[in-house]
Amino acid sequence: MARYVIRRLIATIPTILGVTIVVFMFLRLIPGDPAIAMLGEHATEENVSRVREQFGLNRPTFLDREALKQGDFKGFINTQYFIYLGRLLRGDLGDSIHRRIPVAATLMQRFPATMELAFFSMFVAIIIGVPVGIISAARRNSILDSTTMVGSLIGVSMPIFWLGVMLIMLFAVILQWLPAGGRLSSSVEFTPTTNFYLIDSLLTFNIPAFVDSFQHIILPAIALATIPMAVTARMTRSSMLDVMQEDYVRTARAKGVTERLVLYRHALKNAFLPIITIIGLQFGLLLAGAVLTETIFSWPGIGKWVYDSILARDYPIVQGGTLLIALIFVLINLLVDVSYAYLDPRIHYD
Amino acid sequence: MPTLTPASIMIERKMTKTTQSDIATIDYAVREHRSLWVDAWRRLVSSRTAQAGLFIVSFLILTTVLAHFFWEYNPKTDLDYTLKLKPPTLIPNEEVPSVHIFGTDKLGRDIFRRVVHGGWNTLMVGIIAVTISLVIGGLLGLLAGFFESIEMTRLEKILLLVFLGGLMGFLPAWIAEQPVQIVLFALLGGAAAMFENFLAGRSARVVLFAAVGLLIGGGLALFVSPYTAIVTGLLGGLIGAALSLQLGGSLFSNITMRAMDIVLAFPSYLLAIAIVAFLGTGLEKGMVAIGIVSIPVFARLVRSSVLSVVQKEYILAAQSVGEGHGRIIFRHIFPNVLSPITVQTTLGIGSAILAAAALGFLGLGAVPPEPEWGAMLGDSYKYLSSGAWWAVVFPGVAIMLIVLGFNLLGDGLRDALDPKMKV
Repeated sequence: MARYVIRRLIATIPTILGVTIVVFMFLRLIPGDPAIAMLGEHATEENVSRVREQFGLNRPTFLDREALKQGDFKGFINTQYFIYLGRLLRGDLGDSIHRRIPVAATLMQRFPATMELAFFSMFVAIIIGVPVGIISAARRNSILDSTTMVGSLIGVSMPIFWLGVMLIMLFAVILQWLPAGGRLSSSVEFTPTTNFYLIDSLLTFNIPAFVDSFQHIILPAIALATIPMAVTARMTRSSMLDVMQEDYVRTARAKGVTERLVLYRHALKNAFLPIITIIGLQFGLLLAGAVLTETIFSWPGIGKWVYDSILARDYPIVQGGTLLIALIFVLINLLVDVSYAYLDPRIHYD
Repeated sequence: MPTLTPASIMIERKMTKTTQSDIATIDYAVREHRSLWVDAWRRLVSSRTAQAGLFIVSFLILTTVLAHFFWEYNPKTDLDYTLKLKPPTLIPNEEVPSVHIFGTDKLGRDIFRRVVHGGWNTLMVGIIAVTISLVIGGLLGLLAGFFESIEMTRLEKILLLVFLGGLMGFLPAWIAEQPVQIVLFALLGGAAAMFENFLAGRSARVVLFAAVGLLIGGGLALFVSPYTAIVTGLLGGLIGAALSLQLGGSLFSNITMRAMDIVLAFPSYLLAIAIVAFLGTGLEKGMVAIGIVSIPVFARLVRSSVLSVVQKEYILAAQSVGEGHGRIIFRHIFPNVLSPITVQTTLGIGSAILAAAALGFLGLGAVPPEPEWGAMLGDSYKYLSSGAWWAVVFPGVAIMLIVLGFNLLGDGLRDALDPKMKV
């Protein structure tokens, strides 16, 4: 088990290196001079040279063969990519072009907002999706089953930004039950410690803040949870149907175990492996979906910051945000793989 | 005596005792030549979900194509401030003198007209993006899966190693500014494959090839500078050692799939958004970005399907009668992995459309005033607070309908093509 985990960890290193190269290469996609593209046509000489300095734009892209000719081995790899990689290892994602603040610090500060929304949405998706899938499988071909299946198909086909806009229109504009955006009303007094508003307010017994931030998270969470909920329900159903045809389920029924116990003790336990995979995958996609959802609901997380920065051509932020989300995605896939080995003792990885 | 049919003649000749119903059965089978695809089509149209999907998709494609060719629309001149943000009007009145069944948008443009015309862009995105990912991903997956499980022929091995040698040789060649090194390393790769039994499995082989690599890399570079020669020599040694190992198809598969893993490490449309953000906005760029991002989906699917097909007896049979690899791939494997590909293509069009709509919504897709559903939504949702629901509802419904159509169709196809296949 430990050996497998270590091997799996080592196997992710090339992937992570590849990810850094892809994110680094984003800058190469910019048509023309990146420094001018970021600062605009009328940039001052001083600003242009500052940006050039930050990205090492005066250096070669990957390797400096001219420096090598002179015997300068350090200069050989003192290039854009390796400067980028070196900074990355020190946790330095560069500075924002326009506001001149370090990207990494702000990303970390905004990270809890995105995670809170993502976790909450995933929670909603699981507590609704899994039971619905189980019931659909148990009552296969019933009206309930076909309604769920059609409903989940519609859920998967729904553009989440449109759903978000519709939710705002219905619940915030017409009914005025819930706030249209943001994380907290300005009238509520609250100083978060970790930026996870729900947990912070609960731990400090600040009930008004808890209720208010809860109201704020409902609509974006519904919008974000729709697709993973639908996918989870479908996966649970098909996985359950598969397992229910196994011999051990028939045996359990034959020896007189109640249907409820068969369902939860025998079937669900064995059906859970593919469900976990799907949940892991969906969580990664959820983080990507955050760019859209956060934009619509003015949720002050990473996604909205990345979007605003795309419009402002503040590329270090876009690079940093994309890299962070990709790394979390890689980490989640790793966790799913490892949990496989842990949950299913039959699997040997040698 | 029953009527003379091919089946009855066959039976007359071979058997003595046949019943009327036997003849009827065989007759049916002979006359009705039933192929997998005819069968699948029957199963498809008999399923309720597939019917719905087929109806939605063909209806939307038909209206879109008809509108594109027969209903003139110039987005550049479409502008009428007097009709700004009017709700749906079915009967012309004094305020709104013309019929607008979906209402008008912020520039007084008829939303119905723009929704119908916007379908063209949406379909183009779906088709082009999926074609990119299908062709590239499918081919990579096919080759990766095939050579992972079937021993390469000598010629294929030589070709692969020549290619790899040249590819790896590119690095020292670039550093030393000597393009000739690419050719030499390619030749070294060819030699490694040609003499694969020479000192097979011994460390002497590795040392020998590493030494040759060192000479190629370092020797030539001495003319440039001694420091360059040190680096390229080391690289050449490594390349030589790598080439000396008896590498086969699994290497190709490994390289391909690791590259796919890197792309898969990004949540798909976040990568598309990032690519377009840096490349500059535009529908064409969006299509290409979405296409590239979904290459791994196809590569993985095709590879795993090929891996399961390759185990079948008929592949072994084809190999044992001496059929060439190209023939096996295209005559035996490709037709048998076609059903998962068909399903994924259908579903892929749906998700490509969703991704493109998301890009349009964020203002990174179609350039205004070009009609595109996602962009129309992004344009209008700010006016929601002033009550202009129609500008947001109809483009959104259009996106949802077409994606739903493709998803229903894909689901139906999955059941029709392979009843055993799962979600």
